[in-house]
Amino acid sequence: MKDYIYNSIKKGIINGLSIILIMAKVIIPCYIAIEFIKHLGLIEIISKFFRPFMGWFGLPGEAALGLIAGYLINLYAAIAILTPLNLSTKDITIMALMLGISHALPVETPVTQKTGVNGWAMLLVRVVFSLISGVLLNLLWKLL
Amino acid sequence: MEIIITALKDSFSLILKLFIIILPLTISYEFLKHKQSQIEKIRFSIFGITHNGLVPLITGIIIGLTYGAGIIIHSIRTSNINKKEAFLILLFLSVCHAMIEDTLIFVVIGANGFILIAFRFALAIILTYLMYKSKLLKS
Repeated sequence: MKDYIYNSIKKGIINGLSIILIMAKVIIPCYIAIEFIKHLGLIEIISKFFRPFMGWFGLPGEAALGLIAGYLINLYAAIAILTPLNLSTKDITIMALMLGISHALPVETPVTQKTGVNGWAMLLVRVVFSLISGVLLNLLWKLL
Repeated sequence: MEIIITALKDSFSLILKLFIIILPLTISYEFLKHKQSQIEKIRFSIFGITHNGLVPLITGIIIGLTYGAGIIIHSIRTSNINKKEAFLILLFLSVCHAMIEDTLIFVVIGANGFILIAFRFALAIILTYLMYKSKLLKS
């Protein structure tokens, strides 16, 4: 009995550390990249370019970078990009909802496919519902 | 140069915060694994998802698709889950997965966790129910 508790904690710590290692590899380069982009004044340009699209979700244009990073890489990359952008609670919550539904697509789509379910259908469902929920939560937030 | 140092400092503090959240999760996940045989004994059926699908469903909701992949794939392949049920489980999980980790890491940077969880659960339940009722899926 004691053994099983000890082993569980030990394995949990090892897994936790390996996840942090994966995280660090993604977060540090993304963080540095976004600080450079900010410093070079590119945020304005990116923000302007994505504003019409991100407006659907009530988000500032530059949040598109976090959305793209989350979809294609993973949530940690998205967080590394969103943190320096200093978004409001509302913006972060909407981003979190959209990214929570749909993220790390190149990794997770093959996983869903291996269960025997059509991976492409699942991919479509996730992206579509991610976008729809973003629009919905933005509207709900305005009502409340 | 200064930019790199600030970025490094900030990213380290972010990683540390995330680590504090991840650690209890990975440890409790190990404890949960031991409970798997007990979970398998529960019997129920709700909108097309039966007790057979409970293990992949709970695994996905709590741990997520990437880390729970092994358990999810294994239990869908080995227990009597038909194509329709597998689709419904994955549909539910596509909207509602890794609910603890995903929510907490965004709460760290300022999101409202309650709204996130409520919205995702509601959406997943509605979607799964509609798909179950619809005639698109006939096993």
